[in-house]
Amino acid sequence: MKALCWQGTNKVEVERVNDPVILNPRDGIVRITRTAICGSDLHLYDGYIPTMEPGDVLGHEFMGEVVDTGREVNRVKKGDRVVVPFTIACGQCHFCKHDLWSACDNTNPNAWMMEKMYGYSGSGLFGYSHMMGGYAGGQAQFVRVPFIDVGALKVPDGLDDEQVLFLSDIFPTGYMAAENCDIKPGDVVAIWGCGPVGQFTIRSAFLLGAERVIAIDRFHERLKMARAGGAEIINYDEVEDLLAELKWMTGGRGPDACIDAVGLEAHGTGVAAAYDYAKQRMKLSFDRPTVLRQVIQACKKGGVVSIPGVYGGVLDKIPFGAAFGKGLTFRMGQTQMQKYTERLLKHVQQGDIDPSFVITHRFSLDDAPEAYRMFRDKRDQCVKVVLDPWATPKAA
Amino acid sequence: MTITTNLAEKHGGKPFSRRPATSKLETALTLAAGAAISVYGVLRRDWFGAAFAGGGGYLLYSGMSDLRRPYQGRARVAFTIAKSPQEVYDFVRNPQNWGRSLREPMFEHNDDGQVTLRLGEKHGLDFKSRVELTDEKPGEYIAWASEDQRFEHRGVVHFKKAPGDRGTEISVALEYKAPTGPITHSLASLAGLNPEQLLREGLRQIKQLMEAGEIPTTVGQPVGARGLRATAKRVLYHERPAAEMQPQRMAGD
Repeated sequence: MKALCWQGTNKVEVERVNDPVILNPRDGIVRITRTAICGSDLHLYDGYIPTMEPGDVLGHEFMGEVVDTGREVNRVKKGDRVVVPFTIACGQCHFCKHDLWSACDNTNPNAWMMEKMYGYSGSGLFGYSHMMGGYAGGQAQFVRVPFIDVGALKVPDGLDDEQVLFLSDIFPTGYMAAENCDIKPGDVVAIWGCGPVGQFTIRSAFLLGAERVIAIDRFHERLKMARAGGAEIINYDEVEDLLAELKWMTGGRGPDACIDAVGLEAHGTGVAAAYDYAKQRMKLSFDRPTVLRQVIQACKKGGVVSIPGVYGGVLDKIPFGAAFGKGLTFRMGQTQMQKYTERLLKHVQQGDIDPSFVITHRFSLDDAPEAYRMFRDKRDQCVKVVLDPWATPKAA
Repeated sequence: MTITTNLAEKHGGKPFSRRPATSKLETALTLAAGAAISVYGVLRRDWFGAAFAGGGGYLLYSGMSDLRRPYQGRARVAFTIAKSPQEVYDFVRNPQNWGRSLREPMFEHNDDGQVTLRLGEKHGLDFKSRVELTDEKPGEYIAWASEDQRFEHRGVVHFKKAPGDRGTEISVALEYKAPTGPITHSLASLAGLNPEQLLREGLRQIKQLMEAGEIPTTVGQPVGARGLRATAKRVLYHERPAAEMQPQRMAGD
């Protein structure tokens, strides 16, 4: 089959590899019909996630048709159309039973590696470094899905692939980021980053009853999309002092909750951003936490800081005194996917939201290397790329 | 829970022998290398030479120490399994679960009821050591000790109800006298033959089998061109070379 493989920083290639096979009794094999490039794939592309190796198959947002199942698979059947969540969970351990699916104890074959770095290991993820399990991802024609009964969400008839594809990651991720804010009537939520996750966070915050949402970015097409979702917008390139602007817009209180939907590759401006960039280039740090510093500073007293953006290592210059002084609550982590997929599918079915709004570009799998470049450089107003693994390439 | 560090007395095991653990060859090599490097360092008469002399001196010291004391180690590992203590005890006590399902068979059981510890089979070493169960209380603990003197070890496995609905805390405390010196021991650790690593992964596999019904794996999945560096790292990720990764069954067959 064809699969997109990581070959080093800024280098991905479509290669011919073996088809996946059933390796464990609870595995299933899915023929992929649609797959997407996630913002967090760009962290891999840019070389900021440790334990990626040349030859690793990328991709953790995908859906398709079940073509084979292991002998212990009961719920999912051959021929089912499924969306697969990016976190792999066993469904049986203490964490899975308490809705903490991304903390599953039993799905990371390289748990010892993550234990060395983080103390304890989370669940395995598709196509996201050996530390996170080393599972081959879904920017390919087929994928092996471990514990398919626990993960896969059956798609009801009448819904297009593009309407449900983002239940594999970014819609639940945006929704959990908003839910983590404990939104109450009258709440104002500020969201840094209007990429795909940010867009879903904006709409989820309104679904959960937020009064106002303020969206922050610097790209016009993304701010336009945020405004279409009902948010007020700030272009941080055009304001003198972002924190003063937020204070001004919220009657001097500050936002009730601040969401960092940017993560470790924040652009930022000024001396602090240059310092982070230099540190990252010298491999002294994986992360550039500009946004994290801003959300802590901007959040109101007793407010919530919610972090769906990915961080990897040890951060510094974090204003922890401000966090303590204001009594902030921090909520974060990989999305507890299986907790949200059914609930969000209902929202799609009821027509509360059509997640395909975020798609700006469609490519074949063969064009994926070009799509990665375009998405990374935000060329051609690119917000979200969807790939068809079976389409003929545009270049051909 | 107190994990005893003097397992011999409490659970009926014998005290370890006083014989030096290091083989004469390893000690001789350590002393010879230490002497040679020290002499070279002194002859250089510069800062590099001082560093060499220091390193050589350490090897000499290490070799002399090996003559006097054996290499002893301890390892303690605990996991929580979402099953009752009796269920976990029964699973661990059932010889059928030992060789059949665990990736690195830790124990083997023959028809006469004799238990053998096997290590390093997949590394081509196939090390065997006869084991005697010295003390046991069903549902609570199992203690063992080695019968032969080549690799002396003893330990105890405890099964204890975890608080709330968390299941069972299974813990293993192990003491050993390795048939090697510290240098061989370090090399063995690199190859994944460190007793604590083996114990940790063994217990993890028991937990995975009991809770999820399988041990998660990526061995045999599709990979692209690995290149030189990533091929060298295959050991780290327990990945088999491409020749062994032929699909048994194509998807969709």
